[in-house]
This record gives sequence, C-alpha cells and structure tokens, in this order.
Amino acid sequence: MASAYNPIYTDVPEKDVFALHFLQTLSNLRTQNSFSSPDNKTSDRVKKIKKAAYVSMARAAGATNRLWSRSLLHQAAKRNNKNVRFLRRKRRVTWLMRRRSNRGDPIEDVAAERLRNLVPGGGGMETSKLMEETAHYIKCLSMQVKVMQCLVDGLSPK
Amino acid sequence: MDNELFMNTELPPPSEMAMHFEQPSSSSAMLNWGLMDPNLARNSPPQDCFMWEKSTEQQQSIFDSALSSLVSSPTPSNSNFSGGGGDGFIIRELIGKLGIIGNTSGDIYGAPMNGNVSRSASCYATPMSSPPPMMNRTAPLTEFSGDPGFAERAAKFSCFGSRSFNGRTNSGIPVNNGKIVNSGKLTRVSSTPALKALASPMIPAGDSPPKLPGEFSRKRKSVSKGKSKDNPLPVASPSPSFSKTAERKEVSEEKGGKRRREDEGEEEEGNNKGGNDTKPPEPPKDYIHVRARRGQATDSHSLAERVRREKIGERMKLLQDLVPGCNKVTGKALMLDEIINYVQSLQRQVEFLSMKLSSVNDTRLEFNVDALVSKDAMISSSGSRVHESGLQLESLSHHNYNNNSQLHTNVSSNNMMLHSPMKSLEPSALARGFTHLPTLTQFTDTISQYQMFSEEDLQSIVGMGVAHNPNHESQSQNMKIEL
Repeated sequence: MASAYNPIYTDVPEKDVFALHFLQTLSNLRTQNSFSSPDNKTSDRVKKIKKAAYVSMARAAGATNRLWSRSLLHQAAKRNNKNVRFLRRKRRVTWLMRRRSNRGDPIEDVAAERLRNLVPGGGGMETSKLMEETAHYIKCLSMQVKVMQCLVDGLSPK
Repeated sequence: MDNELFMNTELPPPSEMAMHFEQPSSSSAMLNWGLMDPNLARNSPPQDCFMWEKSTEQQQSIFDSALSSLVSSPTPSNSNFSGGGGDGFIIRELIGKLGIIGNTSGDIYGAPMNGNVSRSASCYATPMSSPPPMMNRTAPLTEFSGDPGFAERAAKFSCFGSRSFNGRTNSGIPVNNGKIVNSGKLTRVSSTPALKALASPMIPAGDSPPKLPGEFSRKRKSVSKGKSKDNPLPVASPSPSFSKTAERKEVSEEKGGKRRREDEGEEEEGNNKGGNDTKPPEPPKDYIHVRARRGQATDSHSLAERVRREKIGERMKLLQDLVPGCNKVTGKALMLDEIINYVQSLQRQVEFLSMKLSSVNDTRLEFNVDALVSKDAMISSSGSRVHESGLQLESLSHHNYNNNSQLHTNVSSNNMMLHSPMKSLEPSALARGFTHLPTLTQFTDTISQYQMFSEEDLQSIVGMGVAHNPNHESQSQNMKIEL
C-alpha cells in the first residue's frame, strides 16, 4: 500500500523500531526487578511484560500522534503513579456531543461501542475517527506481535 | 385535471347566473356557430374585466343556454371536433361553448379568475380542434385576425383543449427547437395550425409538431428553472401580456404532480449547483462542499449524515484491507464484527506471547536481550577490530555487571566505531557480535543510535545467538572463573 495515496494516514514504522522499543522497555523492566529476588509470581511478570509490550508499542508507533497510544501511555503512567510526560489535555467529546453527531444506524453503533471498548482511548471518538484509530492500532498490534513472536522463538529453549 | 379546470370555469358563472339571472336572450341563437362568429368579431379584446360586470346579465342567460345545450345533447358541433383524443373532445366542446358564449356577450371572462381559461376558451370555439375542422373554419378564423388577442388565446386554448395541460404555447407558432416532447401533445400540436392560419394561412400542419413540442419543452424548462416566470415570447405575435401571464400562471398552478415533481427534482439539482448526481467532491478547503444527489433530501442534517456515512464507508474499506479474510464479508455490521474479532485476537496474542516470554528463563532472557541489543550495535562493525574490542567488552561486562561506568566508556568508544547506521547484517558478524554482552544501560545507548534489524535479521540474530550461546556462555563463565 506504499504506492497508493491514502488520505488517511496509517503508516507504522518498521519492525525494528518496535523491536527496539520493546527491548528497551524490557531492559528497563529488568533493571527495575533484576536485582530484587525474583519472587514475583508468574502473573505479575506476565502483566509487567504485557504492559511493557503495550507501552513500547505505543512509543514505537508515534506516541503522541495517535489517540490510542496517548491514552495507553496515560493509563500506564497512571498505574505506575509516574509523572505523566505527555500531559496534554485533549478535549474529550462528551456523550451528548457524540450522541448528536452519531445519529447513525443502531447496527453500526453497537459494533462501534464494542470497538471503543477494545481500542484504548476510543471512548471519546467519533465513529469515523475511531475507525482510523482502529486501523492504525491493528497495524501496530500486528507488528508488535511479530516482534514478540520472533523473540520468543529465538529465546525459547532449543 | 382538465375537467377540474373547466369545472372551475363553469361554476362561477352559474353562481353568478343564479344571482343575476334575467330574461334569457336569444339563447337558442347561441348555439348557432354562425351567429357566434360575427359576435366574436364584434367583441372587444377579452382583457376587459369590466365587461364582465356589464354584460353579466346577458351572459348569464347565454351561459345557461349553452350549458343546458351541452348537457342535453351532443351538439351538432361535435362533428366539427373530429380531431383530438376522446378526453379532450368533450373538454374542447365545453370550452367552445363557453367561449362562444363569452364572445357574444363581450368579454365575460375578463375576470381574473379561473375564468381566464374560459376567456381564452371563449374566443376559440373554432380553432381548438384538429386540422380538418380548421379547414372549415378558415373563414371564421380570418375574422379573428382582427383581434391579436384572439390569436394568443387561441394558442393557449389549444393547449387546454388537448389532453394534457403540460406547457403552454407561446402562441408563437414558428418556434423551432426540433425537440419533440413525449407527452401526448399531439392534440395540442394539431390545434396550432389554427393559429398559423391566423398569422399566415399557408403554414403547413407538418411544421407545427416539431416546433410546438419543442416550444413546450422549452417553456417547461424555463418554467422549471424559475417558477412562473414570464418568458418573452419568441414569436413576434402581439399578445396581451396580461392574459398570457395570467394564463401561464394558471397553467403553472394547474401543472400536474408529475411535472411538479420533475421540476422540483431539477430545481433541487439546480439549487445545488447543477444537476449532477455524482459524489460530492471534497475540495481542499475547510468546508466540505456536498452536492445533494438527485432525488434525495437536501436537508442539512441528511447531507451531513450522508457525508458521515461515506466517511465511515471509506474507512471500512481501509480496514477491510488490513483485516485478513474480510473480503468475503459484506455489510457494515459483519465487517465490524470481523474487525473486532481480529483486534481481540491480536490482543490475546500479545498476552500469550508475553506469558511465554515471562516463562523464558530469566537469566536467559536478560542475557539474550542484552545480546540482541548489543548485536544490533555490533552489526555495523565490519572488521575484527570491533570484534576484539567486543570480546574485551564481553569479558569485562561479565565481570563488572554492575560496573556501568567502566563499561560505559568502553562501549562508548565502541559506539564511535560502530557509528554508521546498519542496514544489512552479516551472519559472521552476527555470530561474533552475539558474544559481546555489554551491560543493559549500554544497550540503550548503543541501540538508540542504530536502526534496528528486520524480522529476518532478528531471527537470524537470535538463532545465531542461541546457537553460539552455550559456547560463549561457558566461555564467559570460564572467563569469569578465571578472573
């Protein structure tokens, strides 16, 4: 799709960017936990790694350019009680506004609601914007999945 | 519709007749066409509204008689009306009768009501029929020539006389558009020879069909463009504009629902910058200009709604390309379900893979993570020089895992050597580079300078690393032990 002119910009960086960010995040994770005794339960580790994956993905995909990435990072930072770096007050579309603007079919509204729950930061978006974000999110997700798959394949015991 | 018209024309006079009824004049004479003609000739132009009031009394009687005659029996004048459709036949009859009545009494139909039609009708008892009757009437028609208004009204009446009231004649006869309107206007067309006979008795009947319909169509179009506008007649026939406009207005009012709808549809398009039912173009401005499509509402809400729906459709197509296996599915709802499933599956995959990653041996993971990152750093190295320094680094790193500063300096020096952004990987370099294990902090520094590897590269890196890992691990461990 590189050649086709797409007015809706949904390009994502290459895998290596994702890999870089992911590894960075992982390493950060390691530095945080490495020297403490690994008494963490598996679930905690899993959660951490998962979060690291998402955060790295958000960063790799252009952290502040996309709504979903921003909201992801925001959530992550809130959970960590870290100071949120990207403290941008985006104007949230109120329910009322959305109702007014989204007088669409009930069919697509129901599905759109489900999509909103899935995509981070989808609660305040119009349906068309939501679909844009979904497209970008899907691309990034698939990229991240590939990177992680490679890692797992490489690191799994032979 | 035609009947209604005539009903309208008929009713007021009868009511007035009831009011002003007086002694009936020579009503029987009214039926005599021959008598009518001289009366017509005598009559003044029918614009005079005042005549109506003056001569109401006479006219009432005339009306009465005429109506009764009409009702009672099909008049012998029927034979004159050989042309035209069956429907228009009766109407023409009525009109003729009324017209004659009006003419005899002066101008009854000057009143600007529905009687306008009848006014015109009044004058044109004779010319409203088809050509054959025209032939009969050439003599009386010539009398009409004295009254230019009659010609006008005759033309108009001819259209009334026909089945449909669509369009009106300009009373301008030689209008040649070459277009032929589809609606059944042949009857109307046939009546035009009468007018032509007035203007120039040599006009063949054949000319009228193409001209009149074209005129009609033109007229209609002009009317559609601007409702009930007065169009200057293309023909130079002198006509009382008053009557004409009145009639035109009336006809425009009388226009059928079909025509109206058509016009509205056309007007809608016209309102929206030309009838174009293509998709709305989106010029590079702040506002998106939308064109209403033909036959659709021009409500601002619906327009916005349509724009929104098109946007969503566009994005759906985009998503369709992304999500595998979505081509077969059609329809927004199903597509959205597919997309949702795909997103959910991707997220589950991420979770699963993170679980797997966490289950990997901790040290192994760390080790490999470092290695991978460092490998990336080492990749651009081409010579063994780097390799050696890397080896040094490796040994150092294992010893001084926490000693960041020292290694940091080493690595930084290393970084300078490996500054060029790497695009391609060399398996040998990879194999060697994998052995080098700088500390974690150094990783991020080095990595940030370089482009990361592609998937294949990564796999190869990992593969190499894994393959070589135990050896080097043991080596490094040995080195550790030694040192």
